[in-house]
Amino acid sequence: MQLAAAPEDVLADALQRFPAERIAISFSGAEDVVLIDMAVKLGYAVQVFSLDTGRLHAETYQFIERVRERYDLEIEMLMPDASTVGQLVREKGLFSFLRDGHQECCAIRKIQPLRKKLRGLDAWITGQRQDQSVTRTSVPTEQDDHAFGSNDHPLVKYNPLAQWSSQDVWDYIRANDVPYNELHNRGFTSIGCEPCTRPTGPHQHEREGRWWWEEAEDKECGLHEQNVKPVAAVD
Amino acid sequence: MHITFVKKILADGQLCAKCGDVEARLRAGGHWPRLDEVLIADERDPDSAGMRLARALHVERAPFFVVREGTATTVHTVFFKFLREVLEAPGTERDEALEILADNPDLDYI
Repeated sequence: MQLAAAPEDVLADALQRFPAERIAISFSGAEDVVLIDMAVKLGYAVQVFSLDTGRLHAETYQFIERVRERYDLEIEMLMPDASTVGQLVREKGLFSFLRDGHQECCAIRKIQPLRKKLRGLDAWITGQRQDQSVTRTSVPTEQDDHAFGSNDHPLVKYNPLAQWSSQDVWDYIRANDVPYNELHNRGFTSIGCEPCTRPTGPHQHEREGRWWWEEAEDKECGLHEQNVKPVAAVD
Repeated sequence: MHITFVKKILADGQLCAKCGDVEARLRAGGHWPRLDEVLIADERDPDSAGMRLARALHVERAPFFVVREGTATTVHTVFFKFLREVLEAPGTERDEALEILADNPDLDYI
């Protein structure tokens, strides 16, 4: 049985491998604050950025500010392109995600600024964990990032908390007196934009607190193997 | 260069939404004539040409493109990278961001 790498070890390896200006922690304003606490305790002056979609809860902005003060950090707030957001709002209004699905809004407010930032990095560090959703069960602690990287510009993504559970994260937060987002006290498990996030009940998965109005979507890019019977050679 | 576009028909007989979107964007961009072959991967028919090609090339998603150049065969499952690298016609930042998100559904969770 393979032992899980300690998050601090993964973090230390990453921060030693890449120069400070080429690696950064992506801070969502939620429990991934533990990465910042660990990096600071390891003695690294690490770059930290956060996606400011313009639609975050006031509590999240206050929390980011507390983290900035507590760790004496510069936190770079990545904002979406104003003209692109302006066009979306002009054409579809401020709540288009309720009607058209959240992808377009997320693409503009999160993916575009993140992609722009990652073009200037060789590696980034996230708080993704395997227990966060069924699509994350195989998240490794280190991976080549094919979503944002390319052959011309390879990018490494570190997920030091991949093998930690939510309980592990909260044990660390309490044991180390790490600041956390006040929304967690009100039942929010997964914290995103204000209109798209709600508290979850005791036995609800955290994903149920996001985009709850959307039905199970067409996740049909996969070619259904169960429908496929074996064949002989294909020309 | 020989380019094959494989699009999928779902079990209910409908064209998959992304395949339809990709086809529309290829046509709107004037790229459709660059395709040499269009195959259907029909989930109702494992022997359909697209399903057979997917199995042969170990491709697990659609739409996808197969580019043959001499003896080299390259499979592209990411449309914007295909546009940029093969057709040398990059899409808009907005379109590319949407595709990144569609292909990596966890990214909206960041």
